[in-house]
This record gives sequence, structure tokens and C-alpha cells, in this order.
Amino acid sequence: MNAPDKNRAQRFWLIAVLIAFELGLVVVACVGRRANTPGPASAKDYFGNVAPPRGQVFTFNNGAEPEHLDPAVMSGQPDGRVARLVFEGLVSSDPKTLAATPGQAYRWDLSDDRKTYTFHLRPGLQWADGQALTAQDFVWSWRRVLSPATGSRYANFLYPIKNAEAFNRGELADSSQVGVAAPDDSTFVVTLENPTAYFLEIAAFYTALPTPRHLVEKLGSNWESAHNLMGNGPFRIVEWRQKDRFVFVPNDRYWDRANVRLTKIVALPIEEVSTSTNLYKAGVLDWNPSGYVPKQVIPFIQKFKDFSGGPFHAVYFYSMVVTRKPFDNVWVRRALNYAIDREAIAKYVLKGTVRAWGNITPAGYTGYDAPAPLRYDPVQARECLAKAGYPGGKGFPKIEILFNTSEDNRRIAEAVQAMWKRELNLSVTLTNQEWASFQAATTARQYDVARRSWIGDYMDPNTFLDMWQTGNGNNRTGWGDPRYDALLRGATREPDTARRLAMLSQAEAILLADGPEIPIYHYTESSLIKPYVRGIYSTMLDVHPLTHVWIDHGGKDGDAVAAAPRAAPEAAPQAEGRP
Amino acid sequence: MIPTLWVIATLTFFLMRAAPGGPFQSEREIPAAAKEQLLRQYGLDKPLAEQYVRFLVNAVRLDFGPSYKYPTQQVRDIILTSFPVSLELGLWALLFSLALGVPIGVLAASRQNTGFDYGAMASTLLGVSVPNFVLGPLLVLLFSLTLYWLPPALWITPADRILPVLTLSAIYLAYIARLTRGGMLETLKQDYIRTARAKGLPESRVIFGHAFKLGILPVVSYLGPAVARIVMGSIVIEQIFAIPGLGRHLVSAAFNRDYTLVLGIVIFYAGFLMVLNLLVDVAYAWLDPRVELA
Amino acid sequence: MSARGGSLWSDAWRRLKKNRMAVASGWALVAIAALCMLAPWVPGLRDPNATDFQLGVTGPAWQHWMGTDLLGRDMLARVIYGGRISILVGIVGTFVSLVIGVSYGAISAYAGGKVDEAMMRGVDVLYSLPYIFLVILLLTVFTKSLLLLFIALGAVQWLTMARIVRGQVLSLKHQNFVEAARALGAGDLRIIFGHIVPNTLGPVIVYTTLTIPAIILQEAFLSFLGLGVQPPDASWGVLVAEGAQMLAFFPWLTLFPGVALALTLFAFNFLGDGLRDALDPQDRKVAA
Repeated sequence: MNAPDKNRAQRFWLIAVLIAFELGLVVVACVGRRANTPGPASAKDYFGNVAPPRGQVFTFNNGAEPEHLDPAVMSGQPDGRVARLVFEGLVSSDPKTLAATPGQAYRWDLSDDRKTYTFHLRPGLQWADGQALTAQDFVWSWRRVLSPATGSRYANFLYPIKNAEAFNRGELADSSQVGVAAPDDSTFVVTLENPTAYFLEIAAFYTALPTPRHLVEKLGSNWESAHNLMGNGPFRIVEWRQKDRFVFVPNDRYWDRANVRLTKIVALPIEEVSTSTNLYKAGVLDWNPSGYVPKQVIPFIQKFKDFSGGPFHAVYFYSMVVTRKPFDNVWVRRALNYAIDREAIAKYVLKGTVRAWGNITPAGYTGYDAPAPLRYDPVQARECLAKAGYPGGKGFPKIEILFNTSEDNRRIAEAVQAMWKRELNLSVTLTNQEWASFQAATTARQYDVARRSWIGDYMDPNTFLDMWQTGNGNNRTGWGDPRYDALLRGATREPDTARRLAMLSQAEAILLADGPEIPIYHYTESSLIKPYVRGIYSTMLDVHPLTHVWIDHGGKDGDAVAAAPRAAPEAAPQAEGRP
Repeated sequence: MIPTLWVIATLTFFLMRAAPGGPFQSEREIPAAAKEQLLRQYGLDKPLAEQYVRFLVNAVRLDFGPSYKYPTQQVRDIILTSFPVSLELGLWALLFSLALGVPIGVLAASRQNTGFDYGAMASTLLGVSVPNFVLGPLLVLLFSLTLYWLPPALWITPADRILPVLTLSAIYLAYIARLTRGGMLETLKQDYIRTARAKGLPESRVIFGHAFKLGILPVVSYLGPAVARIVMGSIVIEQIFAIPGLGRHLVSAAFNRDYTLVLGIVIFYAGFLMVLNLLVDVAYAWLDPRVELA
Repeated sequence: MSARGGSLWSDAWRRLKKNRMAVASGWALVAIAALCMLAPWVPGLRDPNATDFQLGVTGPAWQHWMGTDLLGRDMLARVIYGGRISILVGIVGTFVSLVIGVSYGAISAYAGGKVDEAMMRGVDVLYSLPYIFLVILLLTVFTKSLLLLFIALGAVQWLTMARIVRGQVLSLKHQNFVEAARALGAGDLRIIFGHIVPNTLGPVIVYTTLTIPAIILQEAFLSFLGLGVQPPDASWGVLVAEGAQMLAFFPWLTLFPGVALALTLFAFNFLGDGLRDALDPQDRKVAA
């Protein structure tokens, strides 16, 4: 073949291959695009493949590999979800309202002075290995949580109990002084320091789950390896591989075994939001929990029936280090607060997927009259800045916003930077760090303004307010006000609920007027759940007991259960004195 | 081999120590008692020199202690359970690229300058140019999210293997096809091949009986770097497809400042690669008697 | 100009010109590089960092040929500016590895004997280090700076360059023209860099053409893992990674930068192949 022919043939093939490749890509892109718009047919109303799994098998993304499986030590949602499957506490939570429902205790009484709870355990309780479970197990477990040697991350949860804090801090050596007792095998008595309205929620939290003394004493810290873990809850672990999955099957010795309908639960540890969403779409996951749905696409998937959203018990805010100039001047702090248009951030930067918020405490506390929220008022902002001594922004030093690396954080910071420039003529820079360094920096107060967030652990304003006390480890701003501290301390001791909430409200008012924080938005939870899953509902705390979940093979294209309206927080009971 | 491993171990050790932030940070404050307990548990309260010596001694026994992020798990156990996954992924990819690449290369060489040859060479050149982290998502988009034929991630059912192996092997398939073709073309030009043909042997015998053994040499010498690259490429594949292999652990350990796990994995990988290179050299020497083992 | 110069170059040039596809690739690359490098002066091209939150994501359309991303930024501009960064990284990284590799290899070969052995031993050890892990470590431990990225990328490529150059110099150093230069009183450095290295340019050029895409690819790979170029700067790798997040919803966000990357690499590889064929038509066995 002569050279020109050879060349021509080569060229032909090259171009043919290139064109085929391009065409292939275009097809893929177009098909991919069309498949995402819901059409008239029923299956198209849902995001992805809605063929149910065979049998009663439930697969979901647990988000990350748990660090700990020992309830006394653990922290974090992934760890907590596993713990709630393998263990059960005195009380459980209603899947819809998160109200306290009987768990290992079938009934409880509250004394008249509201400081003593008496829990009555069901007869015949057992651990999964057959050993009897008694009230002494709870005594031992809670003492273990409070023991300094255990290194529990959430020991402070049990501080409302008499002498608990002293024991945990090492000031008290004798654990028997702590207000937990078992007068007999089926009675567990808790004595509190002060009346605590949210105590039942604490009892439902994973730190308060019982741990098997006979196993812990035999195996030491190895007991929490997934191969050894054993509890009293509705499920037990049959299979586990690191970063691969957990497989649970029902625990036959669980007291309510008859009402557990699932035969298998598979929990996957996928951190990447996009992978999790893809797995949900392809039908491998039945539930993609909140936090694993990419926020940016929420406006596009809100229209699908299997999308579930509602407010979440957390607030996103910025904090300022008040030991640094110019944040030591309260007028500066006020000016910075007034200059932020929270509605614009919520609507445009976050596409309406969150609620603009001007308080430190989130919504939904029964009987709590929150103080007036901080609002956007550029005129006031400029006045405050002038009062601070920087009229028109003159002489104001350059300040820096620190945030942990994430697209959303960056966009919000950019918006805030633009607003401070526009309204107050301030020069602001941005910097981001990855999580570990960021935590180190905020703890050490090495920042000007930092992005923060706080998730409440129980439904009471205290969980959002006590971190701002002088010297609290989660404060991280150097701010402190004796009036504020006094109000919080007083509220802790106040037996009358209305008066107590009023004191907390006063404290929050101080915080909003003088404090080091700039609230920005109220979190929402948004998850994807297949239409055939029953028993999972959107809740404020994003806690989802899985005990009574089941797969509906009925074939009816029913409403996704999650779309059912959530019970309003008024329904969350103050369970004092009520079984 | 040993000195290199030692260099790697030392470098990694000091690099991780130099990193800012520790493995114990969270949005919530960890009580001082808990923190002290953790430091003691990992021996981080001892002076640096002592930590280093302790580390070297234990590394020889492949004992890297517990992971920082997951204190209930030993690094060795993590490595030993995730390495087979990466190995399986890599082997499938290698097998697939050899099983398809070599025949394509041989055919292209024997049909040199025909349509098949040009088509194959153009496709392989394209295959070499599309990065695996572009190809992977595209395959997932088509087969998983649109057609629902294959799962988009994980490594549980046999069907899970298909897309990751395809994605990982694409580039090496292309390379191997081109190398085979090149090697075969070279060999086919040799005198002894002309002699074989002149003797009247059928073409297939000429190719497979005579030319193949030498023509395949470039592929064999490429295998060493190929396996190394498959190992490195699998890191990205494991990320895209959420496969619980060694690469995935390495990346998250690096981001989590999980010192012990990073050390363990890096040293393990390094050792593994060296053993592999050794095997490749041996294979090369066996195939081409003209080569001397160093 | 040295003894073998004339006929080698004109032969090669002629062969290259006959390979029309390689020449076409060369021109394509020039066009792409020009477009990307001159991006700020291209009329009508939007600012790649100009956000428009209200617009958000849109698909390819008349106003935005490649659509817009989540922040409303024009994808066409982002892809072109992304190319700027990717290609720049490729060229600078290659230049670094070129300078180090050529000098190292030439000096090692010229010095010969024990010095050569020692230097090549160093190369062997470095070559066997699993660089990717060290790069991941380095980039995670220290703040992710562009400088560190260049160093990391150039750090491995120079090794092969050194080996190639050393091989060439070894065969050249006993040639007559070297003796002649020495007889005329030229110093060693002058001989190495003034006479020998220019004669090694053939393989060096080929390898350079193949190193640029390798570095671009490595940078893209690191960016995909989150370790390369940091936002708001965005190379093609960063764009692909950003797009892959939203793959199930907006596939074109990955597609366009991915195709740009693949096509550029394709052109480089093709050109490199062509150069290799042109300079030494026998040398087909060398693995890329």
C-alpha cells in the first residue's frame, strides 16, 4: 500500500473512532438528563428504581464506619444507629414523635418533688446470650459511663443525676454516691440533682444504653469489636467487614421479638454523598438518610414523592473571638449581625433548602417563648458601627472568616463577605481548613470569625444555651457574662417549668444582644426513602428507631410514608408522672 | 529492598507526626480525662524518639497497633481484610486487560495496515487518553443510573465487579494491545520468522509457536509498572465505586490523620510492590534467556 | 551545530510532515493551548468565577454553550480557564522535570564510573518509592499549595528523563566531536551542555511530548481526590470531580471537562507517537 493510501485509511479510522466516542457521550448525557425529570407514569414520580427488595430486607446508608460500638464511649450518628439496633434502654422513642415509649422499663413514676424517677423493668429480660438482665445492669452501666477511666464523650449527659458530675470530674471517688440504685432486680431508681424536664430524653439517648457487665469484664475493650458485641436490643450483628457493611438479624431473646418484622438489615458506611445517592437511585439502598442527599440538588428532587424533608434540630452560625480586636467591642458584634441578610442566604445561596434564622435556639420547644430574633437592618448596622468608633468602616481592621472545607460553607462565607463589604465597607478575607485542622483552630481560638454549627441532643433550650457559659469547652470564643451564667445556673435548679423557660429566654436575650455569635440558618433534614418502606418518619432530632420498620410488598403505589405530616412538637410530652 | 522500605517508613512516620491537628478533634469538646486516656493508649505521651524505635520494632512484625480513628480495630486486621479486595480488583483488571489486549495486539500485528489494525490502534489511543475517573462516572451514568442494569458501587455481588473492573482495566488494555502489536511487529521482521515461513509452516504456528514468545516480551517488562499503576489506579476506582479496599482506607486515613493506619498501609504497599517487581524480573529472565538477572 | 545535526533533523521533519494526523494533532494542540492561554483576551468569554446564584444549574443552551454549574458560573468559560491551569501545570511540571532530569542524567553519564553508579542508584531507589502515597501524604499534611503540587508532579517524571538522557550521553561521550572540543580546551560543563546535550534532543523531545500529558493526567487525578489545585482555581480535574458529585442529575458538568481533558491528552499522545516514529522509525517497542 503506498503512503498516501495508508495515511488516508489511518485518518478514516481515527476520525471514525473519535466520532463514535463523541456520539456515545452525547447519547449518555441526553439519556441521563431525560431520565431525571419525573414523567406522568407512577414510577417516574419517584427518584430512581422502585422495585422492592425480596423479602423483609432493609438496606440503608449509615454514612461512615462507626468509631466505637460501646454505647458508653461513642459519639456520632453512625455509631448511635448501630447502638440503637443492638441495645435498648429504659425508654424507647416513638418513630413519629420521638416521645418516650416503654423500652426495657414498662412503666415509670416521678416523685412529687420531681427529682426521683422510679423505673419498673419488665419481667424476664435477657441479654442476647441468655444471661438475665436486671436493674443492677443499669446501675453498673451508668456508673461506668460516669467513671473517668472510661473516657466517655457524653458523660455530661448524665450530669443531672445526683453527684454524677462530681464523680465524673474525679472530685468524688465513691461511685455508690451517685444517684442510681437498684432496690431489687426489676426496679431502677434515679435521683436527680434538680428537676430536669428533659430527663426521659436523656434516658433514651444512646449513652444511657445498658452494657453487659459479664462481657465487658471478661473481654475488656475487645468487647466492642463487632465480632463480640452483644446487647439486649431488637437486633444482633451477624456479619461485619470494615468499611464494607454491617448485617443485622433479629435478636430472638428480645422481649418484643414478635413485633420485629424485618428479617435482615444491611447498614453501609458510605461517606460520599454522590455515591450514596447513586446507590439509592439504582435501587440498592432503600433509605438515604439526611445528610447524604446533596444539598444542591434538593430543589430538583423536592418534586419526587420519595423525598422527605422537615426542620432539623440544629442551627448554623458564625462565632467571633471576643478577646481579639475589634470583636471585643459589643457594637461591632451588633453591627456585623445587623448587616447580614439571612433571608437572601437561605433563598439564594442555599436555594430555599434551609430556613433563615435569627435565634440561637431552634424552633419547636413547647412553652418556650424565644426572644425576638436578630434581623437584617443595614441602617442599624451602620449606626452600630459608627458607635463602635468606625464610622463608614474607616479604620476597621481586615478580618478573616474561617470555615471547614465545603462548597456550601464557602458560598455562605462569600455571601457574608459581600454583605459586610456592601453594607459596612469592610474588608474581609476567607480561609478554609479541612476538618481536623479546623477543629484544632477553633478550640484554640485561632480565628476571627468562624463557621460553627450546633446540633441539639434533646428537645430543650438548655442544650443550645449551656455551651455559652464562661469557660465551656464548646464556647470557643472567650465570651462570658456573669448574668448569663447566673441565669443558666438558676434555671437548672428551678422546679417550675414556666419560670425555668422564662429564665432561659432571658439568657438567650442576653446572648442575642451581647453575645459572640451570628446565627444564620436553621437546619432542615432531607432524606430519600423508597415508597415501599414503612415506619420511618421525618423527625426533628433525625433519630429513627428501626425496630418496627417493614417492607410493604402490597404493590399499592401509596404515599411515601415520610411525606405524612410530622406531628407538631406540642405532641412531645413532658412525661412527668405519666407511664 | 530493605533500605528503601526503611526510607519509606521513616519518611511517613515523621510526615504524619508533623501534621497539624490530631486524630481526636470533634465539634464537641472531649473531656480531658478521655483525651489523656487515649494518648496513653496509643503511646503518644512518650518522647518522639522512643515512639519511633517502638514503631520500627513493631513494624517488622507487621504490628502497627490499633487504628486511631477506629480504636477497636487493629491496623493489621484492617490491612489483611481489605487487601484481598484490592487484590481481587487488580487481578481481574489485569486478567481482563491481558485476555483482551494481547489477542487484539496479535491480531492487529498479523493484519498490519488493514482496517482492523487502524481501528484497534485508534481505539487504544483513545483508551489511553480517557482518564479512569472520567470513564468510571460515565459508565455508571449509563449502565447504572439510566438502564438500571448494573449496580453503581460496592463490592458484594458478582455483578458489582463488572463496572469497576472495566473502568480500571481500560487504560491497561489499551497499552497492552499497543505493546503487543509493537513487539509482534518487531519479532515478525526477524530472519528466523522468514525461515519458518519459508519452511511452509502455517501462519498460526509461526505466530504462536515462534514469534509470540519473544514478541510478548515488551508486555512482560511492562507488567511490573502495570501492576504498580493498577494498584495506584485502584485508589481512584475504590473511591468512585465505594469498594472497601486498601486504597480507600489509605485516602480516608490520610484525611483523618489516622497515623497508624497510614503507616501500616504505606509500608505494606511498598513491600508488596517490591515483591511484585522481583517476580516480574524473574518472569522476564525466564522468557528471554538473553537477559541476566541483576 | 554538531556533526550529526543536519541530516537527522531534516529526515525526521520530513517523516513527521508525512504523518498528517500527527501534524493535525500538533495544530490542534496549538489551537487549544492558544485558546486557553489567551482566555482573558478572548472576546465574549465570560468570567469563569462570576456566580449567579439565582440562575443555578442550566443545561447547554444558546446563552451558555456548555451550560452553567451550581453557582451559575458559565461552564464554557470554566472549561477554557480550566484548560489554562491544566496545561500550565503540565508545561511547568514538565519543564521542572526536564531541567532536573537532563542535567542529572547528562552529568551522571559524563562523569562515569563510581559517580555514575552512585547517581543511578539514587534514581533506582527513588523510582521504587510508591510516589503516589508520598504525594497523598505530603499534600494532606501540608497546606495544599500550587508550588508543592509542581514539586510533587515533577519529582517522579524527571527520573525517567534522567535515565533516557544518560543512555544517550553514554553512547555519545566517546564520539569524535567531543574529543575535538576537549582538545580545543573546552571545559567539562561546556562540553556537556554545549555539545552533548543538543545531540540528545531527539528522545528528549519525544519524551517531553509524552510527559506533558502524563503530568496533566496526574494533576487531574490528584484534583479528583481533592488534593490538587484548590478552588476557586479550577483545573479540568477539579471540574470533573465537581461534576461527578452531581452525576446523577447534571451529567454535562462532568462530560464537558472530561471530554476536553481526554481530547487534549489524545492529541498529545498522538503527536508524541508521531514524533517517535519520525525520529526513530525502528523504535516502536519503547513503552509510553
